[in-house]
Amino acid sequence: MEEKKVNSFLNRLKESAQKQTNYGGEMEITEAKINAKDCPNCGAGRAKQDGLTHCAYCGFEFLNIKLTDGVYIKKEDNSI
Amino acid sequence: MFGLFKKSKDSQNGESTTEWYSELQENQQRWFAFLEKLEAKMEEFATAAIPELKEIMQSDDDIYKRTFHRVYSGVNGQLNNIREKARDVYEEKVHDVYYNLNSQISVLSKHHNLLSDFRSACSDRYNEFENKYDYWRKQIDKTQERDLETEYQKILDEYEAIKNKFNCTQCGGNIVIEKIFLIETYITCPYCQTQNTFAPSTLGRNLQNIARNLAEQRTAHLYEAYEAEKDKERDLYHQRHELSLSIIHEKDKKVLHEVQLKMDDLEEQRQFAIKNAPKLHQEYLRAMYDELNKITPDLKEHNEKMYQNQLQYL
Repeated sequence: MEEKKVNSFLNRLKESAQKQTNYGGEMEITEAKINAKDCPNCGAGRAKQDGLTHCAYCGFEFLNIKLTDGVYIKKEDNSI
Repeated sequence: MFGLFKKSKDSQNGESTTEWYSELQENQQRWFAFLEKLEAKMEEFATAAIPELKEIMQSDDDIYKRTFHRVYSGVNGQLNNIREKARDVYEEKVHDVYYNLNSQISVLSKHHNLLSDFRSACSDRYNEFENKYDYWRKQIDKTQERDLETEYQKILDEYEAIKNKFNCTQCGGNIVIEKIFLIETYITCPYCQTQNTFAPSTLGRNLQNIARNLAEQRTAHLYEAYEAEKDKERDLYHQRHELSLSIIHEKDKKVLHEVQLKMDDLEEQRQFAIKNAPKLHQEYLRAMYDELNKITPDLKEHNEKMYQNQLQYL
């Protein structure tokens, strides 16, 4: 009798845990990938030495923030 | 003259003793029986839940093991319910009863020891119950452990597989991914200088989630050594205390001297343990953070800050 009660409790617990949906929706599993962004305004490529925030040719604004030193991005990456 | 008062007082106490003493005895018996039932229930529940939890941990294909954690917290909640029941009954049937009677019965009364015996018997039994709860709680905690080394190996394998796989989107030149990146990163093409954006896979990103636990798993032996040293202090203190109690009525100087020597020795060991425990703790932390830095070298600066912070609380 007792044994039954414990098992049914566990089963109900398991069932409701499996049914419950995750906050933020389904998880997306992605592979590693690489891409490059050209300037949407003039089509020019984006090169390291010109900085990341603005297009070197037409001045299009890629990022409207001033970059600070981080793990991968450094403050030298700001366009002048 | 004073005997007159004494007699009447005694008989008064004698009458009330039987009354409250039977209540105490009944409470004590019921409390013991109640805890026994709760313990049986707890054991039955935990032994049923542990294999289930292990199985869910294995079969849960969610990257964060969320289904497992839901069941896990449900199980813990149930266990906690049992514990709360015990606490509530203890408050009502032992604690309150004790204080209620304590205010009525003088400490000088010869029956007062019945009352204090009742309380210490009940609270000892309660501690025993709490120890059992801790034990089951720890057993359930253990089901959380998973083999992080294989998960880490998967991430390393994936990195090996992709590191030379990518070409520059602009000129087609080969781009080498130089390390395991945890977030999207700009990678410059070595030929045309184009900024390519590299997005790591879900698996690779997950490295920062498992890194800390992996580092802790690798240095668990040091942590255990620290815990053992930390517990020594109390053990030694109690040993010494027992000895000091044993010589209260001792008259023989030789025996006294011997016991005193033993006590001094225990005290010395205790002082050593007090000083040594923080050292072992720091040793563990340093080793753990070294491992962590090895696993996620990019986060070294951040890791070191956490280490410095933890050092303040040794």
